[in-house]
Amino acid sequence: MSGDRGRRLAELLVRFGANVQPGQVVLANGDIADHELLREVTAECYRAGARHVEVGYVDPYLQRSRVLHGSDDAIGFAPPWEFDRVAAVAEAGCATVSLSGGTDPSVLAGLDLDRLGRDRSPVGKEWLKAITDRAINWTVGPAPSARWAAVVHPDMTPDAALETLWTEIERVCRLDDPDPVASWEHRMSTIVAVARRLTERRFDALHFDGPGTDLTVGLLPSSTYVSAGDMQTVFGVAHRPNLPSEEVFTTPDPERVDGHVTSTKPLDVSGTLVTGLRVRFEGGRAVAIDADQGAEMMRARTAVDDGAARLGEVALVDGESRIAGLGTVFYETLLDENAASHIALGAGFDYAVDDERDRSRINRSEIHIDFMIGSNDVSVTGVTRDGERVPVLRDGAWQI
Amino acid sequence: MVSRLQCHAVDDLFAARLADLAVGFGANVQPGQILVVNAELGREQVARAISDAAYRAGARHVEVAYSDAWVRRARIEHGSDESIGYAPQWQVDRLERMGEEHVAVITLEAALDPAATAGLDPVRLGADQSPVRQAYLRLVVDRLINWCIIACPTPEWAAQVYPDLDPAAAFDRLVSDIAHVLRLDTEHPVEAWAERFERLSEVAQRLTERRLDAVHFRGDGTDLTIGLLPSSEWLCASFQTAEGITHHPNLPTEEVFTTPDPRRAEGTVRSTKPLLLEGSLIEGLQVRFEDGRAVAIDADANAEVLRARAGRDEGGSRLGEVALVDGEGRIGALDRVFYSTLLDENAASHIALGNALTAAVGDEAEVPAANTSSIHIDFMIGSPEIEVDGLAGGERIPLLRRGEWQL
Repeated sequence: MSGDRGRRLAELLVRFGANVQPGQVVLANGDIADHELLREVTAECYRAGARHVEVGYVDPYLQRSRVLHGSDDAIGFAPPWEFDRVAAVAEAGCATVSLSGGTDPSVLAGLDLDRLGRDRSPVGKEWLKAITDRAINWTVGPAPSARWAAVVHPDMTPDAALETLWTEIERVCRLDDPDPVASWEHRMSTIVAVARRLTERRFDALHFDGPGTDLTVGLLPSSTYVSAGDMQTVFGVAHRPNLPSEEVFTTPDPERVDGHVTSTKPLDVSGTLVTGLRVRFEGGRAVAIDADQGAEMMRARTAVDDGAARLGEVALVDGESRIAGLGTVFYETLLDENAASHIALGAGFDYAVDDERDRSRINRSEIHIDFMIGSNDVSVTGVTRDGERVPVLRDGAWQI
Repeated sequence: MVSRLQCHAVDDLFAARLADLAVGFGANVQPGQILVVNAELGREQVARAISDAAYRAGARHVEVAYSDAWVRRARIEHGSDESIGYAPQWQVDRLERMGEEHVAVITLEAALDPAATAGLDPVRLGADQSPVRQAYLRLVVDRLINWCIIACPTPEWAAQVYPDLDPAAAFDRLVSDIAHVLRLDTEHPVEAWAERFERLSEVAQRLTERRLDAVHFRGDGTDLTIGLLPSSEWLCASFQTAEGITHHPNLPTEEVFTTPDPRRAEGTVRSTKPLLLEGSLIEGLQVRFEDGRAVAIDADANAEVLRARAGRDEGGSRLGEVALVDGEGRIGALDRVFYSTLLDENAASHIALGNALTAAVGDEAEVPAANTSSIHIDFMIGSPEIEVDGLAGGERIPLLRRGEWQL
């Protein structure tokens, strides 16, 4: 990795993504394979005046070790200090910069799926709470690595694969523009405007129609469309939770989802690849889950609690998205979910519902799994309370 | 891009044997216990093997706390003054929680890459002391955790020990050295260590029973008598937690050691191995003691580094430890400087200037007599040519001859 490339990416994530403030404590997280970019992120945070940067390394092999050799007591356990830490981080209003770079499927290959499915850290929902409470200015960005490059471009030599992945990441992060931040601000102003118009229409439902898909997603009366362009913490720090981000999203009515949907991209669920996913919804619940590969993992995850089989998010992405334009499957939700419109099983976002009274109806779950259902062949139509049908996306272009 | 570690991976058998020793004997991880592993980046392979071994032993959870010397470098280089030596309170609280939970701790020890600190501002570097370290020392002193520091080969370490070999050959050499000194090249390493500790604790017990008044080192330019306290007790590195879990805090270890009387050391001593201090190699060290004080410190090179350290406080020029290592010890026989105290201090009998270990003083009332200082610097004074005698009631008792125990 060239230091200059890494530094430019780190700069975007720290200054524009998390928007680290002088005196803040920053948690920087990533896979051990991404340690070089984590060093760049750390240096950039300190240059931005951070009080302290705590780097947390994820070693995916340790989960394999636990699932293979651990006692039943070890599955899904976290030490008490991890809970204390999240609480302290939320109270202090820290920043987080997380790197994401695909998952090495071989690390979790051949494991007992039941044990793997149950091995979810209970601290995850504490982090989700800190995020939904808007206590931290956070961002998640991509970390190109040889390992990830080999998954995305298996037919290339390792050097060519990594070079291609870097170039793609620079493209989708707009680092190939002379002024990446200005470019992002321009793009986000468009998305923010679309989100505002969608919110003003107060659709009763969104209808997705295309090959293998005929799905109506009901919305709450005060469902509000949000984008990464208008996020702020309760402390008033603007931040961009995901880079890149191309979506506008809202929280749907978990009781009113009907029809069937076919995923348009593979998805990665904690290291397990799910392809050709088909889900049928009745009265808001996913009543049938099938897939060409990985269905068992999806079924296990959607059974962890009551809300896990209902929707917490519906997101729209237009064809201007640079990720959609590349046509590359990254096997990484951060990027792939911005390639196409998508829905998510599990927890919904309070901040995407305006009216306090509607918030009690938002789906609750400890999971949140996005999967892609949009493409240029899938039309999206808004349905008003009076039954009027308003085109929203046709051939990947905004109609409103 | 292939990382250096992948070029120089240790074989899985080595990693598994080291892990079994660290988990089953070193820290002695108990079923249901949480294990915390401290590892710099580059030691993943051994850390993962330790995770496997600990879960197999019934650990409730294994947390590997990876660290990166280059992240610290980024702070020293780019951080504000407020960031130097600062740690968020939750990092200190975590250590307290670890004490409450009575966790096990394994630390993978290797000499760090000198490039990670090269050229840094020494004042900022020196001031960057995390309060987390103090919290950790409290866990050790209060005996709340069963812990082990164990040697773990890395390419950066190998380059320092074998600068003349190419990186792959240097790494292979270091791996086989460490396999040897950890007794991983024996059929049953845990049994080999259990036997070794049985011998060391037997020797320690006999030494204590003799109630020696002093220890005398003689030969090869050395003639040094070190007085002991009336209740000085000889120990080997086998500890128990407050709850009674036996553990072996240093692997490898070869020494039996005690706390001397800091007012009674007389004569001259010549070091038998080079001493590495603050990056300087001190060779041919010669120290003259009068009434317990080091009154003259000389060396072929870099004597001033030790003089400066010894002059730091009142106890810095008096002795805090005397340790005996016999010829069965595997480190001295390799005749190599490893640039790591864990290995180097077990190469030969040694003494330490500075702070004493009070656990080696049997009588509570004598603890104030033990030396106190902010430094603790071990240097090697033993070899097969050096005879060691105990003095008790006018009697002279041979302790070591040609590296063999005489009791």
